[in-house]
Amino acid sequence: MRLEKCWFCSSTVYPGHGIQFVRNDAKIFRFCRSKCHKNFKMKRNPRKVKWTKAYRRVHGKDMTQDSSFEFERKRNRPERYDRNLAENVLKAIPKIDKIRVTRDERHHKNRMKGKKEKLQKEAAKELEQGISLVKAPSALRKDPSLTLPQKIKVSVSQRQSEDNNAMEE
Amino acid sequence: MVQYNFKKITVVPNGKDFVDIILSRTQRQTPTVVHKGYAISRLRQFYMRKVKYTQQNFHDKLSTIIDEFPRLDDIHPFYGDLLHVLYNKDHYKLALGQINTARNLIGKIAKDYVKLLKYGDSLYRCKCLKVAALGRMCTVLKRVGPSLAYLEQVRQHMARLPSIDPNTRTILICGYPNVGKSSFINKITRADVDVQPYAFTTKSLFVGHTDYKYLRYQVIDTPGILDRPFEDRNIIEMCSITALAHLRAAILFFLDISGSCGYSIAQQAALFHSIKSLFMNKPLIIVCNKTDLQPLEGISEEDRKLVMEMKSEALKTVIGQGGEATSDDSVLLTMSTLTEEGVISVKNAACERLLDQRVEVKMKSKKINDCLNRFHVAIPKPRDQKERPPCIPQAVLEAKAKEAAEKEKRKTEKDLENENGGAGVYSMNLRKHYILANDEWKEDILPEILDGHNVYDFIDPDILRRVEELEREEGIRQAEEENDEFEIDGAELTPEQQAALAEIRKKKSLLIQQHRIKKSNAESRPTVPRKFDKDKQYTSERMGRQLSKLGLDPSLAIQRMRSRSVSRRGRKRDRSPEGADGGDRMDVDGDTPGKKQRLSRSRSRSRSVSRPPHEVVPGEGLKDSAQKIKAIKLAKKSVKKRNKEARRGEADRVIPTLKPKHLYSGKRSTGKTDRR
Repeated sequence: MRLEKCWFCSSTVYPGHGIQFVRNDAKIFRFCRSKCHKNFKMKRNPRKVKWTKAYRRVHGKDMTQDSSFEFERKRNRPERYDRNLAENVLKAIPKIDKIRVTRDERHHKNRMKGKKEKLQKEAAKELEQGISLVKAPSALRKDPSLTLPQKIKVSVSQRQSEDNNAMEE
Repeated sequence: MVQYNFKKITVVPNGKDFVDIILSRTQRQTPTVVHKGYAISRLRQFYMRKVKYTQQNFHDKLSTIIDEFPRLDDIHPFYGDLLHVLYNKDHYKLALGQINTARNLIGKIAKDYVKLLKYGDSLYRCKCLKVAALGRMCTVLKRVGPSLAYLEQVRQHMARLPSIDPNTRTILICGYPNVGKSSFINKITRADVDVQPYAFTTKSLFVGHTDYKYLRYQVIDTPGILDRPFEDRNIIEMCSITALAHLRAAILFFLDISGSCGYSIAQQAALFHSIKSLFMNKPLIIVCNKTDLQPLEGISEEDRKLVMEMKSEALKTVIGQGGEATSDDSVLLTMSTLTEEGVISVKNAACERLLDQRVEVKMKSKKINDCLNRFHVAIPKPRDQKERPPCIPQAVLEAKAKEAAEKEKRKTEKDLENENGGAGVYSMNLRKHYILANDEWKEDILPEILDGHNVYDFIDPDILRRVEELEREEGIRQAEEENDEFEIDGAELTPEQQAALAEIRKKKSLLIQQHRIKKSNAESRPTVPRKFDKDKQYTSERMGRQLSKLGLDPSLAIQRMRSRSVSRRGRKRDRSPEGADGGDRMDVDGDTPGKKQRLSRSRSRSRSVSRPPHEVVPGEGLKDSAQKIKAIKLAKKSVKKRNKEARRGEADRVIPTLKPKHLYSGKRSTGKTDRR
């Protein structure tokens, strides 16, 4: 029993899931679900489909080469069983996983490095350009800071008196 | 071998059937639909295909005929002669030759017409060419019709010929008609040949099989031969002559002692002497039949003399063979088929003579070495009385003994299985025989999958070392990372600025939304100017709110607005704020125009009242109520269901004549004309 990788999206295919397609030249394509299978039948290139791992690797969104990938390799020759070795392996797998995950995160952080600065600059520009939508020019002249103006309260009584005056006339 | 497969020749159809078969096959197996609008090359190809297909079929069928009928020169001369006798070699060859010519002619016709078809320029022309080609081919075949009929008859007759193997042991029976040949063959074989008192009952060769010394002999019964010059013989006699001439067989010449066949012994002896040339190199036995009617001793002197002459001739053949001069028992025999005495001895004598002759011939031929082992098996003669058994080394013997013992003692897995409940209950422990460094590990279970990884992919003898390296590397990298963790923060917005930015964004999205709605509805809805504001959005309060939000003081603006509205209104309306008048003025709070004064729709009322249908609302775009009524009518009419079922409606009633004459004039035959 083996966990395989989906040919299209590179996610793991657990036993009992997915479809396997064998082509006439004996190449085997495994798919994790019908979404991947249908995309394959449509002859879509996974390197161009945004949500697949292949795309992410090709476009540098995810880490490609790393020494932590070297540990997991399909071995064709079985090794004779050794209890100590088995113990070590079972202990090592979570460690390797953890390291891989931290490296992934680091990669992501590196990718996102300049983002905050960029966002701040954009926000500042937008604020400066769009202040006229929320603040009248006269108010801006009076108070040149780029903030919302002070709300002016109009009293109701003033209005009533106006009305009464008109009626009396 | 070809000679035995006369039964396997395919049926030769007669001329008309032949043509029918081929033409209908062409019709079925080639495409049939063609239109004159097709490309010319396609039309040509269509018709060429038909012509070629027909020619091919003719060729195939005629070739099978020619191939399957035997060539008289290639088969055994016995069969060749037999067929010649029966069917006339020349006629046979001519017929096959004609078929061959027909085949060639058809080929030529097809070739010529295909050449012509290549240049056909219209559907009609191509079709005519094809019709002509097929017609000519069929005519050729029709001319050949009689040959086909003849060949079919020949085939039918050939299929019924007896299957005679010319090379095996054969006994031939000949003699005058009615001497008892068929009765003899009936006696010794299982053949059931017609026996009748009239001559020429047997008209063709018949074969039976008999056994002698575990060998099978063919016995061939021939039709009777009369004593005539060779040229005068009829076909039936020729059959037997052919058989006599070509088959290497033992010959039984039958003699009727009693003369009840209608021919005297003298005549029979004369026949004997005329055909004795055919008895060269063949074991000959003279059989005197019908001894129950007339025993051999009782015949007259001349007859006896003749018989002895024949016997001496027969003896000559024996001596000619190189065999010992036996007694005349094996040359001249008597028997009676009726009482069955002597029949078996005749058969035995014949078989024995034949066998001897054949063995001798075989001995002399070169093929003797192939069959020598059938005659004699050589065994070396023992030199002395010493025993010489085979030699087996001692070690081998011991090993064999040990193995045998072990096989009995060892307990197999099968035994274990049977002890523990059989095949379905017990499953063997496959791990029992594992070879591991430590035997305690035999029953260990290793998981195959862990955390979404295949464990077998990670197994590596030096995995510990590598993991340590990896962790070290990771530690280094983490340290480096901590060093350059600081990011320049830059100018961050204050919370008030952030609030302003949020407000700006909200406003922008609202504007975009409204624009989108307007754009999508631009074609289907008319843009109503703001003064006909049905939803009452544009109020002074709203204006005030918006202005104050922008940071301006709205009070002046509101004042100005109110003052203007006040001046326009007039006194009357002040007194009755619920009064209505059709007129455009600035819409202030709550007043709406309306025709009827009693209907008030001011906001002070808690219940709303619906409008009458003809009341014109200023935002709708209609001039006055008359126009509105017309518009409503048109709308209702357009929604009415049309009568598409072609039923009569009210408008379809027609009275062709309002005053038909027959109702308004004339007398009645019965009754009064009071009422019209």
